[in-house]
Amino acid sequence: MAAAAATMVSSAGGLLAMLNESHPQLKYHALSNLISFVDQFWPEISTSVPIIESLYEDEEFGQHQRQLAALLVSKVFYYLGELNDSLSYALGAGPLFDVSEDSDYVHTLLSKAIDEYVSLRSKAAESSDESAKVDPRLEAIVERMLDKCIVDGKYQQATGIAIECRRLDKLEEAITRSDNVLRTLAYCVNASISFVYHREYRQEVLRLIVKVYEKLPSPDYWSICQGLMFLFEAESVANILEKLLRSERNEDALLAFQIAFDLVENEHQAFLLNVRDNLSAPKYPPSESVQPGSSNPPTAQNENSTASEDVQMTNESSAVHDADPKEVMYAERLTKIKGILSGETSIQLTLQFLFSHNKSDLLILKTIKQSVEMRNSVCHSATIYANAIMHAGTTVDTFLRDNMDWLSRATNWAKFSVTAGLGVIHRGHLQQGRSLMAPYLPQGGAGGGSPYSEGGALYALGLIHVNHGEGIKQFLRDSLCGTNVEVIQHGACLGLGLAALGTADEEIYDDIKNVLYTDSAVAGEAAGISMGLLLVGTASEKASEMLAYAHETQHEKIIRGLALGIALTVYGMEEEADTLIEQMTRDQDPILRYGGMYALALAYAGTANNKAIRQLLHFAVSDVSDDARRTAVLALGFILYSQPQLTPRIVSLLSESYNPHVRYGAALAVGISCAGTGLREAITLLEPLTSDVVDFVRQGALIAMAMVMVQINEASDSRVGTFRRQLEKIILGKHEDTMSKMGAILASGILDAGGRNVTIRLLSKRKHDKVTAVVGLAVFSQFWYWYPLIYFVSLSFSPTALIGLNYDLKVPKFEFLSLAKPSLFEYPKPTTVPTTTSAVKLPTAVLSTSAKAKARAKKEAEQKANAEKSTGAESSSAAGNTRKGKLPSEKDGEAMQVDSPPEKKSEPEPSCEILTNPARVVLAQEKFIRFFRDSRYVPVKSARSGFVLLRDLLPNEPEVLSLTDSPTSTSSPAGGSAAAAGQQSSSSAMASDDESQPP
Amino acid sequence: MDLKEVSQQFERFKAAFVKNDFDTCANLLSQLKVLLTKFRSLPPLFENTPNAVNELLLAREIYEHAVVLSVKIEDQDAFERDFFQLKPYYTDVGSRLPPSKQEYLILGLNLLRLLVQNRIAEFHTELELLSATALENPCIKHAVELEQSFMEGAYNRVLTARQTAPHETYVYFMDLLAKTVRDEIAGCSEKAYDYLSINDARQMLLFSSDQELLEYVKEEHPEWEVKNGSVIFQKAKESTPCKEIPSLQLINQTLSYARELERIV
Repeated sequence: MAAAAATMVSSAGGLLAMLNESHPQLKYHALSNLISFVDQFWPEISTSVPIIESLYEDEEFGQHQRQLAALLVSKVFYYLGELNDSLSYALGAGPLFDVSEDSDYVHTLLSKAIDEYVSLRSKAAESSDESAKVDPRLEAIVERMLDKCIVDGKYQQATGIAIECRRLDKLEEAITRSDNVLRTLAYCVNASISFVYHREYRQEVLRLIVKVYEKLPSPDYWSICQGLMFLFEAESVANILEKLLRSERNEDALLAFQIAFDLVENEHQAFLLNVRDNLSAPKYPPSESVQPGSSNPPTAQNENSTASEDVQMTNESSAVHDADPKEVMYAERLTKIKGILSGETSIQLTLQFLFSHNKSDLLILKTIKQSVEMRNSVCHSATIYANAIMHAGTTVDTFLRDNMDWLSRATNWAKFSVTAGLGVIHRGHLQQGRSLMAPYLPQGGAGGGSPYSEGGALYALGLIHVNHGEGIKQFLRDSLCGTNVEVIQHGACLGLGLAALGTADEEIYDDIKNVLYTDSAVAGEAAGISMGLLLVGTASEKASEMLAYAHETQHEKIIRGLALGIALTVYGMEEEADTLIEQMTRDQDPILRYGGMYALALAYAGTANNKAIRQLLHFAVSDVSDDARRTAVLALGFILYSQPQLTPRIVSLLSESYNPHVRYGAALAVGISCAGTGLREAITLLEPLTSDVVDFVRQGALIAMAMVMVQINEASDSRVGTFRRQLEKIILGKHEDTMSKMGAILASGILDAGGRNVTIRLLSKRKHDKVTAVVGLAVFSQFWYWYPLIYFVSLSFSPTALIGLNYDLKVPKFEFLSLAKPSLFEYPKPTTVPTTTSAVKLPTAVLSTSAKAKARAKKEAEQKANAEKSTGAESSSAAGNTRKGKLPSEKDGEAMQVDSPPEKKSEPEPSCEILTNPARVVLAQEKFIRFFRDSRYVPVKSARSGFVLLRDLLPNEPEVLSLTDSPTSTSSPAGGSAAAAGQQSSSSAMASDDESQPP
Repeated sequence: MDLKEVSQQFERFKAAFVKNDFDTCANLLSQLKVLLTKFRSLPPLFENTPNAVNELLLAREIYEHAVVLSVKIEDQDAFERDFFQLKPYYTDVGSRLPPSKQEYLILGLNLLRLLVQNRIAEFHTELELLSATALENPCIKHAVELEQSFMEGAYNRVLTARQTAPHETYVYFMDLLAKTVRDEIAGCSEKAYDYLSINDARQMLLFSSDQELLEYVKEEHPEWEVKNGSVIFQKAKESTPCKEIPSLQLINQTLSYARELERIV
């Protein structure tokens, strides 16, 4: 073929000349040859494009020839970089444009075609008039592409394109025709949640997905329910749950429970209530047994209060022996699921977990207390806040009771905070919350206590019952109506807002409105926020009413409260909130613009919506008010929390701004969106800010850093240790200014939040936003103006635990594996060595706590050993080799946890550890969790944290329960000492006997 | 459908060609061209079929005849078309085929055509592609010399070259060239003179009689005015008003800018 190689064509001139021939066959010949040489000779051909175009438009020319001409022109335009022209001619080429061809030309044009189609489709959908007709040829090409993807097995691409093109029919086809429908569906759900910005359309996609799920031969109810929850279709969820509950098989019931727990995790109170109300009642008249049962005090006394519902269940089933056994079973399950859906079960279990696993370090608080100057009230109350946050949800208030005298220095609003702090500590203590707070609550008309502590107590009640205020609402309303004191109104408003979060209760709204219209600054501010809390995410008409009043009033505080309240109402509304946002961000009043930033932040929370980000960045650099700018930057944190890795990049420039407010905002934005992630970039960005020249920037950076580092220990990032030492230095430093000192104190509180068993988490496991948590952080970020709002941060705490539950919703003894070095995720070591010179007092304290800890550890070890023996005996035959292989390392793990440091050095660290239900499993640890294959209990759904329903493979064997018993055994020393401590200072009203009891 | 059939058809074409039956020729030629597309050895595919050389030779001859035919029927477009289709036979496969006698003749014709159409750039591009020996060929040389005279403005030499044309087919283009030259002269006169007497104009434009001149003016340059025994070009000049550069204004502006800049700094 040397000759052939030598005779390469040197020019397309001849062929181009042939195009001008009159005979059509010659033209055709020229065209078809030019097509094959276009890659080489397009510069020459480009001069003749007009001729070829005229051939394409020539009606007398054959259809095929015309398409050939179009294809040729398209290719030439492609080489010339005129993609629009190229595409329009490629469309003219019809079937000759081969989507499966593997060339740059085809790839480029296809992506162009799809882009074009997507933009046309979305434009058509948005303008909603049919005039924007899409070129059918373009549609045909995209459809051909989709079909090809499906045929080639590229289902993910197909679903992706279909979603973007808004072609639900094709989407359905792609899903149903894929080889692994479940995986494609999961991908689809993920894609629609994270990439579909248009809310309405996202709902359509989800609806379709749910439909497909339902059509599957074995429907995946769990996924269906998750999808339905995104759609807020409570009724369908209720139907599915009911079907599962009525099933004969216990597994189905377990699955229903699991679904319920996962729904609860998303914290959408209104939705959950709706589901609960939609579950139909059992068919026999249950009134006699159930109703007394649910509010029966004796049952609660029978067992630990946890089990009250279960106990009542057994009573009932024995009582109604004559009824249909199926209905009886359903009724029993129904009561359980109602307990779960109301959130009570999970709250109770969480409370027990936090109490039994509390590892807070009192020494840190003591150090803080001693280093803080007596006269400095800011640091004094900061210490109180830190204590509340550290013990959030653990019910351990030892510190408060140990330091009654010191506490008594708190006056006025500080007193308010002290009392409210109790609410944070006892968060979730639903049964006894009221009696705990009883000493401080306003006594009907008698007016004994200070209004500050009364107001604080009402606020505390709200914090205890946050998002589950069914029981306490009425009391709070009565308290609100029964007083004229601003401070009490303030507390009651906040409390009501928290308890009735998102319920949009008309009566409560009216009560609060009455308070607002008294035009008192203190009460009005709380009323504004409270209205927002009440109407979270309802996009209610009332927002305009609030806006009107904000324009009317003279008090800045009220305007600010209302601005935040209005922002809260549009939570998660995305585009639907645009009008209101526009109205607020254009307002004359900087405070309302500031509210507008919050509205943007909350309406688009967690969506990473580009439009919202752009708007915020614009305000961050252009608004004239420092407050608005600060908030605009801060709001970025809310929008980006679903993609935390983006935030440090986006705000990095802003964090170097000359304006300290912008720097502060950048710090908090990172803190909010990267909370609990320990993200490297986030820490790198915050580090320089913690030593900023401006005091409040330092404060913000310290708090943000603590939020990022929650539950990260020194082993996984050494900078955590550095940060802890930095905090200590600031707190102890004589010359530090108050602002950063306060920041450091709060930071050390957040860093060790909830007895170190909670993290800040704005997304549930299914990537659904947690309403309460987001709202909590949003109000928390208001502490700039009003310190008591710091307590809202407790709303965003979620326990990091794996709690396995059996059919009776009790916690059985159950072991599983964490395939990682224990030191990576263990609790930070308790501070033992006093660093200050005033160590004379400290040693006794150190000794007592460490001795207690040791005793507790020993007890735990014994218990574990026992448990191990029993489980070992149970499954000795089934254990096999795998179990034996693991045993030595497992023992090492035990030794690690219990033994003293010197031995630790001698032994190499094991690479895994055995955890016992319920266990602390921090976020980063989740991916290392494994279940034993030969275990007695098998999880219904492979989840790695949170509540996991377990299927019992040996239902007839007796079960060993761990959590319900554990408070009495393992924590008795701690509880006892607390009680003792309480007695020492029993003269004060602080101590109440209930507290020493396990919840 | 094979080589034989095509050659037979071509024979018929040649017969008609000799008889100067151009209509039949055009008809046959078109059919021939269609037939040629079936040969896969021809450009642009150049497949190495067994009959490749024969096919190429035949095709080359057909296109050579086509070019000559187009000159005879005085169709410049067809000439260009056919020439471009012929060209690959010379450039791309020239090494594989025995050289054609007609090659230089046709190349020369093409050069002449470019000259006539006043496409001087393309003319030189073509010239660059020719070898030194080709330049020696009388047909090519003739065209090159013509171009030189044309550029120099030695129009009389251009016109006398008609007599020395190397081939009868050249005559057609030489006639056309005369017209090109005349147009050129007319364009220059327009610029150079306000008016010319009819007598001078006739000499200048190389017409033999006043009648011819007047006809030419009427057809090609209706904007000229023939009055009082002279041709006036004034009208044409007026139609393209000269734009004066507002120099004074510009200078003033620039100076004021400079002054203000000085003040700012």
